[in-house]
Amino acid sequence: METGHTEFPSGNILASAPDISLKAYLHIFNGTEWQHNISVHFTFVSLFSLFFAVPESCMLILLGLVLGAVVLIASKKQPYQLDPGLFFLFLLPTIVGDAGYFMPARLFFDNLGAILLYAVVGTLWNAFCTGFCLYGVKMAGVIVNAGLMDFLLFGALISAVDPVAVLAVFEEVHVNETLFIIVFGESLVNDAVTVVLYKVYISFVEVGPGNVHTADYFKGIASFLIVSIGGTLVGLIFAVILAFVTRFTKKVRIIEPLFVFLLVYLAYLTAELFSLSAILSMTFCGIGCKKYVEANISQKSRTTVKYTMKTLASIAETIIFIFLGISAVDKSKWAWDTGLVVSTLIFILVFRAMGVVGQTWFLNWFRLVPLDKIDQVVMSYGGLRGAVAFALVVLLDKEQVKAKDYFVATTIVVVFFTVMFQGLTIKPLVKWLKVPRSTNRKPTINEEIHERAFDHILTAVEDIAGLNGYHHWRDKWEQFDKNYLSKLLLRKSVYHKSELWEAYQKINIRDAISVIDQGGNVLTSARLSLPSMASRTSFPEVTNVTNYLRENGSGVCLDLQVIDTVPGAKIEEELETHHVLAGNLYKPRRRYQSHYSRHFMTVGEKERQDREVFQRNMRNRLESFKSTRYKRHKKDRSQKKRKGSDAKEQDTNDKPRRNVSWQDKAVVPVAPEEDKHDPSEPDKDDDVGITFVARKAPETPKERPKSAALDVCQSPVAAPPSPTCGEKNLPWKSGVGSLPPCVSVEATKIIPIDLQQAWNQSISSLESLASPPAPPEPQHPRVSALSRLGGPLRTPAKGKSSGSGGAGSGSNTGSPSSGQFKFPTGKEEEEEGALSQQQQEMQPLMSSLRPPPPPPPPPAAQSAGKRRNPCVYLRSLVTVPPSGAEPQSRRPTQL
Amino acid sequence: MGLEQNEVSLEQIAILHNRFKQLSQNEETLRRDDLKTIQDLESNPIRYQIIEAFFDRRNFQKDGVGSVEEIGFEEFLTVMSYFRAPAHHITEEQREEIRRAKLRFLFNMHDTDNDGTITLEEYRHVVEELLSRSGALGRETAKGIADAAMLEVASISVGPMAPDEFYEGITFEHFLKILKGIEIETRMHIRFLNMDTAVFCKQHSV
Repeated sequence: METGHTEFPSGNILASAPDISLKAYLHIFNGTEWQHNISVHFTFVSLFSLFFAVPESCMLILLGLVLGAVVLIASKKQPYQLDPGLFFLFLLPTIVGDAGYFMPARLFFDNLGAILLYAVVGTLWNAFCTGFCLYGVKMAGVIVNAGLMDFLLFGALISAVDPVAVLAVFEEVHVNETLFIIVFGESLVNDAVTVVLYKVYISFVEVGPGNVHTADYFKGIASFLIVSIGGTLVGLIFAVILAFVTRFTKKVRIIEPLFVFLLVYLAYLTAELFSLSAILSMTFCGIGCKKYVEANISQKSRTTVKYTMKTLASIAETIIFIFLGISAVDKSKWAWDTGLVVSTLIFILVFRAMGVVGQTWFLNWFRLVPLDKIDQVVMSYGGLRGAVAFALVVLLDKEQVKAKDYFVATTIVVVFFTVMFQGLTIKPLVKWLKVPRSTNRKPTINEEIHERAFDHILTAVEDIAGLNGYHHWRDKWEQFDKNYLSKLLLRKSVYHKSELWEAYQKINIRDAISVIDQGGNVLTSARLSLPSMASRTSFPEVTNVTNYLRENGSGVCLDLQVIDTVPGAKIEEELETHHVLAGNLYKPRRRYQSHYSRHFMTVGEKERQDREVFQRNMRNRLESFKSTRYKRHKKDRSQKKRKGSDAKEQDTNDKPRRNVSWQDKAVVPVAPEEDKHDPSEPDKDDDVGITFVARKAPETPKERPKSAALDVCQSPVAAPPSPTCGEKNLPWKSGVGSLPPCVSVEATKIIPIDLQQAWNQSISSLESLASPPAPPEPQHPRVSALSRLGGPLRTPAKGKSSGSGGAGSGSNTGSPSSGQFKFPTGKEEEEEGALSQQQQEMQPLMSSLRPPPPPPPPPAAQSAGKRRNPCVYLRSLVTVPPSGAEPQSRRPTQL
Repeated sequence: MGLEQNEVSLEQIAILHNRFKQLSQNEETLRRDDLKTIQDLESNPIRYQIIEAFFDRRNFQKDGVGSVEEIGFEEFLTVMSYFRAPAHHITEEQREEIRRAKLRFLFNMHDTDNDGTITLEEYRHVVEELLSRSGALGRETAKGIADAAMLEVASISVGPMAPDEFYEGITFEHFLKILKGIEIETRMHIRFLNMDTAVFCKQHSV
């Protein structure tokens, strides 16, 4: 069933892709019902493999068989075969290109020793043993008559593990990465061995066994070295060229994927041209270039490359397997020999197992993580033969290899047996053996960090121990890469980017997406406190990171303008206007594109439009939040009252709120700003939203849980009635920008780097707006801060906490006059704290403490509720360093 | 001390002893400066932490505190033994023990002030140094990453936090938790094979 999930997408591809690709051929069928039939079949295949967890490769072969039979019956003659030319020129490269490009390079090189051993020694062993043993069987007279060279040739082509088959089967099995990379790597790298053996034997067969001299054997060995190393070199050269080319494609993003496909394919063709190992070449081209190419090309190109490659590979794989099935039906092409078939099958399985066991035994002397018995079983069993063998055997010249037809038949059986029987049973086997599976879990950022740390630590320890081990050399290579290669091959703008940074970015984006998906109710709300940190240090300066992020379009940034502009009152105003306009005007949709170009894409008008719609929606959502607060608040209140115990407290709290309410009015003008903030803030936060608030917790810890609980369940109520969110922000923002007194020095706030600028801007703008009304309402700032923070207000700075304590005493609570936007002194803070306390409906103590409960009841409550929701929303979106918030939670305890 | 020295094979000890002498210029003890002079270490971004680990008492004995000025061969070997590969066939408990020992070593490395938690500052420091190699990204980014990592730790180890809760730092338990995904018992090891003498000793001999 789990497979059902993973298979679905590819199933879709299968259902449609072959349909298309086959249409071209279908004209011979003289009828549309054939087409219909075929697509029905494909759908059937995907559905079948979906429900019964049968590997697609099996289903495809079966389908091919059926199709082939039908065609054969209809036309008496099999018009299709898996044409070796087509196979080696087009089908195989797409699969190998995909495999090489997406090969996990680190894993590959970590296991390179094992891979090479299995690929070279293992394949040679298989080839020779199979060849000689078949010859032995022939001597016994059981099977078809052929020369030693013929059998050796056959052994060579039948012994190589096939990348297509391995990929097809292992991708569904999900064995652990090490196991997979060893088998898969082997299947790719053994191409050199196969090619050489095949060619050498062919030439031997051509000249006749009698004319082969000893020197020729050495030539064979030499040619192996040339073929393998040469192929690798060609691949690496093309990798460098490709990486270098993509360095300069910034202006022509649209052809970036083209370069990737073209040059990788060229690597294949070039190697083929020089009779080198084309698979090796292509594989290493992919492995080599990926790091640089991925860094150089744009995100869109990356996606394009990825999906195109995957799709092409799937198509090629599908075609290969289907044609394998179709080809098998053609009786004219093969001759059956039971003895040959059976003995070949047995030899293949036996020698594969023996080879694996022997080599693993040898390897485990050196491997730090040994391959255990179960691994060996899977490796033996996973030695699948496939289309490469078939194509090679079809390529044989019947004039020279008399037994070709027998070999073809045997190869077909072997391929079918390994792909279908073994492919079908390997999954249950893996399950039964409890082979460690691979997990799709993405590493967390901590794991990422430690992976890196490991590399350095191990390198350092090796260096200290004076051992020039693997880590030592890898480190050397990385140095070289960093000092020379990267400088040469990477764009300047991406040169300094590190993988960790990427991971970090990904996490941010993920968070952002989840925020948006979930309406901003979830999130990175965790707070870290670092008592020892100075607040100043925690503010990152605006760096080029902002630019970097923007350039890469990584963040979900709704409001770029906000981020871009430097804070300034005038600009702010203009911006405001701009936003109002931008928010309310749709750009007229353009019907026609002014010109068409294949190589340049205009930034999609559509895209812009979409973005705008998105922004607008976000804004609307926020606004609706505001408007709904009202109602919700009422609801909440009523609910609470029902609870009974809390009712009194609520009432008492309500009163203070009323006070707040008129403050709200004063705040009203700020509202537009708020709007502006809202859209921008969430975005920013998404980008890097991390807020750490450091505070000492002098107040009783008991309080916290309570407050937390309150926040969680009654967040709407808990949040004090506050002026608009923007206002709430004000105190904070001001704190951020200029560190007003209200923010204790100890409070640690980390504003995501990207956000900082915008943050400051908004603060300044808010300040300017807010400052006038300040005198009448002392509570304002507090409230706003609180509300902004959302129901769960967190960390009070240490200083604040002290301030709040003062407030707790009740000295300032009522005084409206004291409240100002910028709280210059601890006192004011205290006041704020007091207000916040008042606002908290849940806390009974507060009411008692507060001597002068503010008068206006209902409006305040309403406003509070209204605001509160947005606050929560915002809060979740933007983790704000809540300096003012703390008082709420703590107050009660103090009181 | 989860990994006993006697699990290191004799050949390995001999090799390490040679190295020790070489580093200490035939003295009985090794100092920080001796390690700092190693050429290859120079490009290692976290070399100071690693060197520090060699002089950290916590890595010598369970209740050790603080650091020492110089170490003898025994301490050197003890620290090195943290990087031994586990034997092939071990029980789950042994594996867990090895895992803890190795993680403890890592933890101690990060926890520079020895207070049992890796604070954000300490963590930032680590990340900064790790990133310092890539140049211009610099401190701010490192900070951001460390912060993100810390947040992640908080969310993993504490779960959803109450509004006024705060997270002081990574304790060892949390450290175990966040690195659950890494098979450190098979990852944190090096091959004690001497290239100079090319002794083919079996790595995992007990």
